[in-house]
Amino acid sequence: MYDTIIIGSGPAGLSAAVYAKRAALNTVVIEKNYGGTGQIAESERVDNYLGLYGESGFDLGERFRAHAKALGTEFYEGEVTAVLSEADGYRVRLSDGAELQTRTIVYAAGASPRKLCVKGEAEFARKGVSYCAVCDGAFYKDKTVAVIGGGDTALGDALYLANTAKKVYIVHRRDQFRANRLLQERVSNTDNIELILNAVPTEIAGSKRTESLHLIRGGQGETLSVDGIFIAIGTIPNSGILQGLAALSADGYVIAGEDCATSAKGIFAAGDVRTKPLKQVSTAVADGANSILSVTEYLEENGR
Amino acid sequence: MAARVDKDTFESEVLHSERLTLADFYSDSCVPCKRLSPVLAEIEEKYENEIKLVKININFDLELAEKYEVQSVPAILFFRNGEVVSRLDGFVKSGEISSVIENLK
Repeated sequence: MYDTIIIGSGPAGLSAAVYAKRAALNTVVIEKNYGGTGQIAESERVDNYLGLYGESGFDLGERFRAHAKALGTEFYEGEVTAVLSEADGYRVRLSDGAELQTRTIVYAAGASPRKLCVKGEAEFARKGVSYCAVCDGAFYKDKTVAVIGGGDTALGDALYLANTAKKVYIVHRRDQFRANRLLQERVSNTDNIELILNAVPTEIAGSKRTESLHLIRGGQGETLSVDGIFIAIGTIPNSGILQGLAALSADGYVIAGEDCATSAKGIFAAGDVRTKPLKQVSTAVADGANSILSVTEYLEENGR
Repeated sequence: MAARVDKDTFESEVLHSERLTLADFYSDSCVPCKRLSPVLAEIEEKYENEIKLVKININFDLELAEKYEVQSVPAILFFRNGEVVSRLDGFVKSGEISSVIENLK
């Protein structure tokens, strides 16, 4: 029986592991991808994590992981398929059939890229449709691409792609961007970026590979000829496993305050999966610490 | 240790290779590609006498990627006698690569 099982190995989960080891809790980190460090690994550069200015997201994640490992954190590669409530805690079922018993859970499963949910998206995935500009940008040297979205990621992707692509469209459903001012200024100063605003994508089409993006703008159907489509419309919380167990917000986040306590006794939510105004590495790391304080208090109150 | 091949060495190193050859298409700054690297190193060790592993950086050798319809990385293409006999797209676990190799052995 574990004192706590940490689900997820992003910054929140790894921070929780560090605090759990220092609190001498019997714990294990369950991770879907071996050696993972969560979404931060995909960030080209992190300029707002205190003390480690300019570090790549990948390197930052590796540092977090090395820290957790240095304290003796155990990792288990597997996907959680169910969390079952029991009299003295929870039973965590994994995709390999294993079941682990624990008194408490730190749920730090993070979030995944949101899908556009249009016809052709699945069919052309890896054939012109991508969710990672820094991974696949090189395929579109001197070609035409569309970036869908209006936040920091979308505009950052568009700028990255504009370095090598012939032309980059930014397709956004509103007439204004959510992205920060600096990015917006850089986009408007980039000649080969064209904005397609108030436009809703309806279909991705092609034969062997992606050839066009159909959309509706101002009530009219339009077609953009593109070689690639990068989808950057935010993330969705990986909270499905807790459905029916802990209260979720309308958009699927696990409802919990700074103490990370959810509506389910002994389950604490940390990181991007928790309802919070600012999703950052710094707030995920803070959640990791707070969740373990809550776990410790819970175990003391409920007899360790 | 997997050697990087380019369009000049591709024919001799991959198409004329006597062993089942795994070509790992990757790009710089691609995180899933970085994560796949140690997995492939393990596979290379495990099948030391049976396979050959090469790497193709699509930042430099886009033509090869285009030729083999690789439009996203990482992608592992399995070559035998100059032909693609199987492929795995995206980040894959060690077991998935092993099972393709076992099937092709």
